[in-house]
Amino acid sequence: MRDDRHRWAAHDGRWPRFDAQGISLATTEPERQTLISGPSILSHYPGAIEWPDIATDDSYSLCLRRDRILRVNGLEMPDGWNQEQEQAVSDASDAYTVFDLSGPKALDLLKHGAELSLQKPSRSVARNLFGFGVFLYRYGAEDGYRLHVPRAQAHPAWQTLTRQAVRL
Amino acid sequence: MTSRRTAEGGLIDRSRPLQFSFDGKSYQGFKGDTLVSALLANGVRVMGRSFKYHRPRGPWGAWIEDPNAVFNVTLDGAELPNCLGAATMLETGMEARSVNAFPSARFDLKGGLDLLHRWLGAGFYYKTFIWPDWHLFEPMIRRMAGLGELNTDLIDGYASDQLHDHCEVLIVGGGAAGLAVARAAAEAGQDVVLVDDHDVAGGRLYQLDSVEGQTPRDWVDDQLAAIEAAGGRVMTATTAFGVFDHRLVGLAQQGAFGTAPRLWRIRADRIVLASGAIDRPITFADNDRPGVMSLDAACEWLARYGVLAGRDIAVLSNNSFAAPAVRMLARAGANVTEIDPTDGAIRALGGKRLKGVEVAGKRHPADTVLVSGGMTPLVHLWRHAGGKLDWCEQRQAFLPGATPEGMAAIGAANGSFDLDHALAEARAVARHEPRPDGTGTYRLTPLWPKPGSKGRQWIDFQHDVTLKDIELAARENYVSVEHLKRYTTLGMAPDQGKTSNMAGLAAMAAIQGRAIPEVGTTTFRPPFVPQPIALYSGPHAGQLYHPLKRLTLEAQHRAANAALGEYGGWLRPGWYGSGDPKFHIRDEVVTARKVAGILDASPLGKIEVIGPDAERFVDFIYYNTVSTLKPGQIRYGFMLTERGHIMDDGVIARLDRNRFLISCSSSHTDHVRAHLETWRQDGNDPDRIFIHDLTQAWSTVTVTGPKARDIVAALDIPLDLSAGAFPHMTLHYSSFDGTPVRIARVSFTGDLSYEISIRSSRAADLWQALAAAGEKLGACPVGIEALSVLRAEKGYILIGKDTEGETMPHDLGFGIPRQKKRAAFVGDRSLHMEGANRDDRKQLVGFSVEPGAPALPVGAHLVGEGERPRSQGYVTTSHDSTTLGHPIALGLLERGADRIGERVTAWHQGQRFTATICAPCFFDAEGERLHA
Amino acid sequence: MQLFPCPFCGPRDEHEFHFAGEAGKARPDTTRTVSPEGWAHYLNDQRNEKGRVREVWMHLTCSELFAMERDSVTMEVLSSAPLREDAQ
Repeated sequence: MRDDRHRWAAHDGRWPRFDAQGISLATTEPERQTLISGPSILSHYPGAIEWPDIATDDSYSLCLRRDRILRVNGLEMPDGWNQEQEQAVSDASDAYTVFDLSGPKALDLLKHGAELSLQKPSRSVARNLFGFGVFLYRYGAEDGYRLHVPRAQAHPAWQTLTRQAVRL
Repeated sequence: MTSRRTAEGGLIDRSRPLQFSFDGKSYQGFKGDTLVSALLANGVRVMGRSFKYHRPRGPWGAWIEDPNAVFNVTLDGAELPNCLGAATMLETGMEARSVNAFPSARFDLKGGLDLLHRWLGAGFYYKTFIWPDWHLFEPMIRRMAGLGELNTDLIDGYASDQLHDHCEVLIVGGGAAGLAVARAAAEAGQDVVLVDDHDVAGGRLYQLDSVEGQTPRDWVDDQLAAIEAAGGRVMTATTAFGVFDHRLVGLAQQGAFGTAPRLWRIRADRIVLASGAIDRPITFADNDRPGVMSLDAACEWLARYGVLAGRDIAVLSNNSFAAPAVRMLARAGANVTEIDPTDGAIRALGGKRLKGVEVAGKRHPADTVLVSGGMTPLVHLWRHAGGKLDWCEQRQAFLPGATPEGMAAIGAANGSFDLDHALAEARAVARHEPRPDGTGTYRLTPLWPKPGSKGRQWIDFQHDVTLKDIELAARENYVSVEHLKRYTTLGMAPDQGKTSNMAGLAAMAAIQGRAIPEVGTTTFRPPFVPQPIALYSGPHAGQLYHPLKRLTLEAQHRAANAALGEYGGWLRPGWYGSGDPKFHIRDEVVTARKVAGILDASPLGKIEVIGPDAERFVDFIYYNTVSTLKPGQIRYGFMLTERGHIMDDGVIARLDRNRFLISCSSSHTDHVRAHLETWRQDGNDPDRIFIHDLTQAWSTVTVTGPKARDIVAALDIPLDLSAGAFPHMTLHYSSFDGTPVRIARVSFTGDLSYEISIRSSRAADLWQALAAAGEKLGACPVGIEALSVLRAEKGYILIGKDTEGETMPHDLGFGIPRQKKRAAFVGDRSLHMEGANRDDRKQLVGFSVEPGAPALPVGAHLVGEGERPRSQGYVTTSHDSTTLGHPIALGLLERGADRIGERVTAWHQGQRFTATICAPCFFDAEGERLHA
Repeated sequence: MQLFPCPFCGPRDEHEFHFAGEAGKARPDTTRTVSPEGWAHYLNDQRNEKGRVREVWMHLTCSELFAMERDSVTMEVLSSAPLREDAQ
């Protein structure tokens, strides 16, 4: 039973854009994130982004597992089991906070948090980065990256990334 | 002055003088000096006091192998303990202090301890465990022994960056062999990283006149330029401190003094070990006197730092490296005498000031004695990687033997001590060609400690272990090298026996009449040289050491003056208000019981099980039968481990035919998700069951209390909230302000409760609306502390608090599925094993305490009668209940269910308390308020 | 630090994995009679071999449950395959 309110820095779930040392970090809010699972989901959604693919469209799918994708800015779908498509669907728009990371040092920064290389492809974009379970993929440009961080860990993940960035 | 700076030579920059101090006295060195080379240049010789006996010590080695010159160094307010003076690069303004010496290394007040050495031999401390009493000695030993003192002030910004990288070939060591292999590999198109722990690569090359027709400096520069031109990376001032599984090499890259080294984790396809070799001491009487130094170190001091170790030098060497060394020292102006150390007994003459050496009765005056007992290859990283060692009789050394996958050893580390041979070997290895034949020109006469010799002969300088200690250990049967190490502390100092292990095991071999390889070596473990813990912790420090999960509504709680604390990995409101929490918690409990409390329940797990086999799967996962639920119904149940123990409890709701919502404990969500995924893929059809963890997509606000319905009704939610239309343990979908919500009537307080879940981005609006509606009726926000009183009054348990590692559901009064459920479920068979059927199992009961009596302490043992009563269980939860007007408790007690109504004694730290055993429910036992 | 090959994702850092047990142990059908000895064997008996072992691991980031063969002495990984195909 301890009052630690002052021990932990307050946050309100918003983060101002961060620019330093060749790194830009900002939150972005996709309109919709949908978890879709199913036995043949990867063939339903060909072109799901893997590592180190670059997502360029506004609407795309992330390959998470052999039977799961995260659809970003897809059509609205009813939650639950879709018998016809054999798909389990859940709206997860608020489950992940999304960060856009870019700049010439972005990859360097990421290499602080995981054994990561553009030469080492991996089918799933789900990774452990600085101890956080995130979805990490390239977005928009050669040196652009996007991270989906579990909502409740967005604050420490942001702190970790920015503290590391100023030390680059 | 015995040692001095030469007029020219070395790698130091004589145009850049640096000021520093040692034990309070000021000195000057040059850019490129180490602390030790700069002190030697100033004629300082005594640089420390030994660990145990406070004997004066001077430097022995010129780099990381030196056991003696250990300093506390301060620069610009940053103080680092136990710096290796021989490998600490000098910076201007450094203040070095010798460790374990007061007031200074030269005049140590405890120097008299040395006279007690007869009683302080190996195992002295261990023996005091038996007789007379170690308590008498421990404080004294702790005060007197040891190395540097820890400064507990944190150094601002002292944090290590940690990077991951990959390369094709990683070369450890930038001496002749390392440079040659790196260049050849890089020029063959391979992605190369060369690591060297010196600021300036080149190893011992600077001792030579020329290398392949060039000056050593030009040759080294050429190789470095060629490596970098071919795309290779060179990392100097970087120590490869360990090789870990799957060829991960840990590198510590030094920055400026006072900053934490940077950790590189480099995964290499191939590791080439070119770490060189070190000179080993010769064991003789008083061989620890300041001025007895390594011959190779003297050559390094001269070659790299332009420091001549002495004027009148006696050289004792058993090997063929002596001749070039003697020439080099003589050319620099020293008076050098070569003495054969294999002639007979050796003794150093003089004390703090060395006067010479006596060999076979003949005295040789000298101010400096340089010794070389043969080269010991640095094979530490080879052993980290699981490589084997082979004993080489000719070189009297352990050399790399059976090779770990993807690794090679070359140069002096591989026993290739001749330059030409090492270069040829390196280039062959780079090209995957056969190595050159032959073992080179290096020759030596075996020279190891001679048991039974007179005098105090030092084996381990850093831990003050002598030959007599090893003999004593052997007499007391600590003959295995691992036992020898721990009994005598040989090789257990920070240097991990770099200069002492070989002599120690050779001594043990000689005592037992065995061959050295039969005795074997102790285990080589990372780090190769000591590293600060910050290197390993990296960014995981302070708030980021164990970052808590943060609530979407944290700003609202802070605005409401919440006291936040960690509860199950989340930062949550414990109570609201400042000052003594007791009153706030009591007020929250009273308000919740009289009006209503509003609680942020967002961390509750929200794991959906979706798919055509979902129904069958939840029946398998749960102790209870879940499949009989209709959509919209909720049931309380347990998940068990396969051992039948309760893993988690909570409610499960059926959302529709193929979809269930598991509301597991807030702190167990990740664990439950992994548990579900494991069983889904192991023994079930994973194509027909899917598990979506949506805990953080939703936030949940709970309204609980007699006025809960009125508060929820005030939100204009289009839903009939009456008990008839919306009974306890059901769930409805509705909307709040245009946003869909899920409302569950479940209760963790025993009062009418609504759990309202909404997408997290709308949670703040919902909270605000409920708080405002609640305030009008006299409700208030409640924290976790009040909630845990409320739930205890009702007898609702917290898993892990009111249950222990062996609790089964029938211990809590939930015995029916155990008897009746037919379908298989996780843990089912364990519930009928012998242990599960015992009649003395600990069962959940309540304890009622008289008004005015003290509450039972949590953790108090429930005991029987008698002088030494046996524990029959313990108190798990205890509160002074304002609602009931007396203290209450929950606990686990043997045969508890049969003992309702009995008096029981609780014992806690010598105090006894009494209470009456009762059913574990103190509030609304009939459930009228719950179903209101 | 070891690199484990997730059958789906490829090699990843060992921190992303969780040991789930020795491979090859089938859960007894508990709807039929299971002797105490049989159940105790299932719960408690481990081979804990030195050398080549076959184990079940979970790749926590993608939840893949898979069988991995490795050498418990040299830490060399010999093979990995999804458990679900294993079961079929």
